[in-house]
Amino acid sequence: MNSELNLYFDNAATSWPKPEPVYGAAERCLRGSWGNPGRSGHTRTLEADRLVYRARETLARFFHIADPGRIVFALNATDALNMAIKGLLEAGDHVLYTAMDHNSVLRPLGGLRRAGLISTTMIPCSPEGYPDLDFMERSFQRRTRLLVINHASNVLGTILPLKEMATAAHRHGVAVLVDASQSAGAVPVDLAAAPVDMLAFTGHKGLLGPPGTGGLYVRPGLDLKPWREGGTGSHSEMDLHPETMPERLEAGTLNSPGLAGLIEGIKFIEETGLDKIRAHEVTLRKRLRRKLEEIKGVTVYGPADDDRCTAVLSFTLEGVDCGELGYILESSFGIICRTGLHCAPLAHQAAGTFPQGTVRLSPGYFTSDKDVDYLAGAVAEISAFTRAR
Amino acid sequence: MALYCYITFSTTHYALRAEALLKNSPLEYKMVPVPRSISSSCGIALRCLCPDRPQVERLLKENGVETEGSYEIEEKDFSLPRLFSKKEGPAHEQ
Repeated sequence: MNSELNLYFDNAATSWPKPEPVYGAAERCLRGSWGNPGRSGHTRTLEADRLVYRARETLARFFHIADPGRIVFALNATDALNMAIKGLLEAGDHVLYTAMDHNSVLRPLGGLRRAGLISTTMIPCSPEGYPDLDFMERSFQRRTRLLVINHASNVLGTILPLKEMATAAHRHGVAVLVDASQSAGAVPVDLAAAPVDMLAFTGHKGLLGPPGTGGLYVRPGLDLKPWREGGTGSHSEMDLHPETMPERLEAGTLNSPGLAGLIEGIKFIEETGLDKIRAHEVTLRKRLRRKLEEIKGVTVYGPADDDRCTAVLSFTLEGVDCGELGYILESSFGIICRTGLHCAPLAHQAAGTFPQGTVRLSPGYFTSDKDVDYLAGAVAEISAFTRAR
Repeated sequence: MALYCYITFSTTHYALRAEALLKNSPLEYKMVPVPRSISSSCGIALRCLCPDRPQVERLLKENGVETEGSYEIEEKDFSLPRLFSKKEGPAHEQ
């Protein structure tokens, strides 16, 4: 094992390391005894208010959103997706989603469906993760209210045709909810170029911030039912939750140290250049795929066209259970990755890897070619050992 | 005692947008807790000089910042120096 190497290949779960200023900002916020944003008007609260405001502005700039007040903070993308789905849908609605969706979409939809409130149609995807757009076009119904698009697959790295799908949905008068968990910070997410109705994001993956910093964008004119009501520091005399955004969908104390870190994470991306980050991650995926494909017994999944993917690559090794393979990679080589179904059973069904799952490798901007080579060497060694066994 | 203008907002978010706009203007302002004599939805108000009020309101309107109300009131004496003077300080300090 080489301590110089960065053997963390699980950035799709949570990114690591974070840019140095992320740690400092979170710590300063905690040590600075800042107040509770929105509560009272003393100077420490005002400092916390300014921080939350800056976080909204930073995200609005990053996603090309005109009004930062339409961004609400949540615990994570799962929380934001629940807010969107449960805040929009009403009894009798029909929802379209794709096989690339994560359980954070599948389960809220499943719960509403089981309760008899909504009906749903899954848009099937190719083994590479591309949705069947003809099927989608045929599936819009009179009561279709929502199309959920996972912008990038957390299993295969596939980037879905967001703009094309959103345009089709809007043509049918259907609202679009985008899950940007895997795409934000990895590929451009430009809502000015591809307008959508709602976008859920998380701060701790590609945006390089701390966990507990997700959020939801809701387009002007679209009012969601709040799925969490309580203290906002505003309209305190009312016994009903305020209707003004962003408080409408934000109740309870916000994660200000987390948001302080998230601002720095996004600033790092902007200063480095998303193009540069993207180019590096594409190079890593390309190298990873090429090296793995040379190894006997390895099957690589997802699109072969790395330029159209995020830095996520799934593979299996013949004769070795993926859980065991992950265990060997960590215990014998110090490599960290994720194995199994990755909370996306339908994506594995599409790829033909259900129920056994895959080993998922997700390098990040701080991963080097050397790290990739070390990993490929480890897999080659395990492959040779297995075949001799 | 001076006459000040207080502008209130329905959400802290708009109060902070107002602050960001005024920071880049030559206008004098201060973000202050909303005086209890005013009823407001959020805890922070923008305080400016009364003669500047039309200019401030125009700036906010032009930039889509929604305000809740604006009030002209005599500046209250917030500092209450008498209570905290050495001579008449709280009992535990003596």
